Amino acid sequence: MNRILPALVIIGLGAFLFQVSGQHPEKAWQAYLVNFILWSAVAQGGLLFSVVLHVTKARWGRPLQGLAESFAAFFPISFVLFLLLFLGRTFVFPWLGGDLHGKDAWLTIPFLFSRDTAGLLILYGLGFVYLYQGLKLKRSQNDKSESGQEALQSRMTVIGVLYIMAYALVLSLLAFDLVMSADPQWISTLFAPYAFVKAFYVGLGALIVVAAIVHLRHGEASSLNPSHFHDLGKLFFGFCMLWADFFYCQFIVIWYGNIPEETSYIIQRTMTLPWSRLAWAVFILSFVIPFIVLLNKQVKTKPRFMISLCSLVFVGIWLEHFLLLGPALSPGADSLPMGMTDVLITLGFLGLMAMAVRFALARFPELLPVQKQEVK
Amino acid sequence: MAAEKKVMALFENDTRAASAIEGLAGSPWKLEQVHSPIPSSKILSALKVKKSRVGYFTLAGGIIGFLSGISLAMYSGIQWNLVTSGKPVIAFIPFLIVGFEFTVLFAVFGNVLGFLLQTNLPEFRSLQVYDERCSGEHFGILATCPEGQENNLVAFFQEKGGEAKLI
Repeated sequence: MNRILPALVIIGLGAFLFQVSGQHPEKAWQAYLVNFILWSAVAQGGLLFSVVLHVTKARWGRPLQGLAESFAAFFPISFVLFLLLFLGRTFVFPWLGGDLHGKDAWLTIPFLFSRDTAGLLILYGLGFVYLYQGLKLKRSQNDKSESGQEALQSRMTVIGVLYIMAYALVLSLLAFDLVMSADPQWISTLFAPYAFVKAFYVGLGALIVVAAIVHLRHGEASSLNPSHFHDLGKLFFGFCMLWADFFYCQFIVIWYGNIPEETSYIIQRTMTLPWSRLAWAVFILSFVIPFIVLLNKQVKTKPRFMISLCSLVFVGIWLEHFLLLGPALSPGADSLPMGMTDVLITLGFLGLMAMAVRFALARFPELLPVQKQEVK
Repeated sequence: MAAEKKVMALFENDTRAASAIEGLAGSPWKLEQVHSPIPSSKILSALKVKKSRVGYFTLAGGIIGFLSGISLAMYSGIQWNLVTSGKPVIAFIPFLIVGFEFTVLFAVFGNVLGFLLQTNLPEFRSLQVYDERCSGEHFGILATCPEGQENNLVAFFQEKGGEAKLI
């Protein structure tokens, strides 16, 4: 594994550089944008799990909190990846130089990058402060007075609430600026909640995968038991339905309103080829399959099975990003503008995320829910 | 056949009650009833009750409800030709909402019906042996034993941390 992950990153980087220097650099930047949004959402949504559990004083998922916090190691990478988007601005912002339908003051490159950079700095900054306090609390379990620990916990609660608010606001901003702006004529006020609920959905999926790997690797030494996987599975199931519900809420309003500038976005993606096939694939992979499968209690407690199911959902959400951005970034495409390089670039991002999580768990072993072996 | 004696034991927490239930399983005495003021997972797992079938009633109710809701919306649309702003008379996108609401309603009906059928409720005979503290903060276990062993049974419950009395 020590060699596989860096190899994945190198393969992804190689594929990106190959594509970006070829005849279709826009495809490389499309894959870059899709993966930046997806993997950043995993990190942001992953940490949100720990924060929500702390703020609500929930005890059931304590062993999972450390794993959720390990996703924050991707924050610096995500921030740098966002700044690098500037280099591909002519490819990822198809509205540049076009009719902005009255959004001229909002959609300018300097304003967009400065507000999103500030937003990410605040979100990631709050995430790290929360993490710092959490680590301090974990390390001082024995040598700090009760009042000292309570003070740390209440500080974490304040930072946690701020993180939750920043999460909703910054992810809304990113959804408007990086995804919805690709079709400047289109407006949906529910698009932002749809995006941040989706981020929590994939964050939970990634957490299940990491928890399952830890459980499979450490067996009984890990303090994760079937009830943890059952509860986490229920939460995942709940957010699967909430994500689909938010899609439907937007869809039905647009359907009833029947205003061409709103319906064109949906018609292009769900009723015209090649995108309609992708839309069905997304719907089946990210909603129909998990909905039907997760009705069952037993499967939620089987780590190997949940890894496969979460991977399917992941593929579905990955395709969903292509579906949202594809028609705007590749107008008039006869076939799906996706190929091998997209898969390789995605593997590169997967490698980056896995390396970040591994680094966090190795550097801060207290995040790992594994009982320490007694020194003989 | 020897006469049976009844012993009622009261426990302050469900862990002790669950331990007593598990202890009874390997004894010559018979567990009759368990009275709990709250649903307790510890007691449920100690009793090793079979998986409830109420979920199937709920699922069936939900499916029937969904189909009924969609059918009702379709029937209303066709019967009165409810044309709304140029939309199709039978339009599944908005009918999904009616289907969903009926799913919830009928699933609840199915659930209540399944619960009543599976637990043989309503029960008009009141419990013959009951301690009011089991509606407060105590967990009660009623067990029977052959005559002459009642003192052993009382001692067993006391050893498990309960307050036992012969009925």
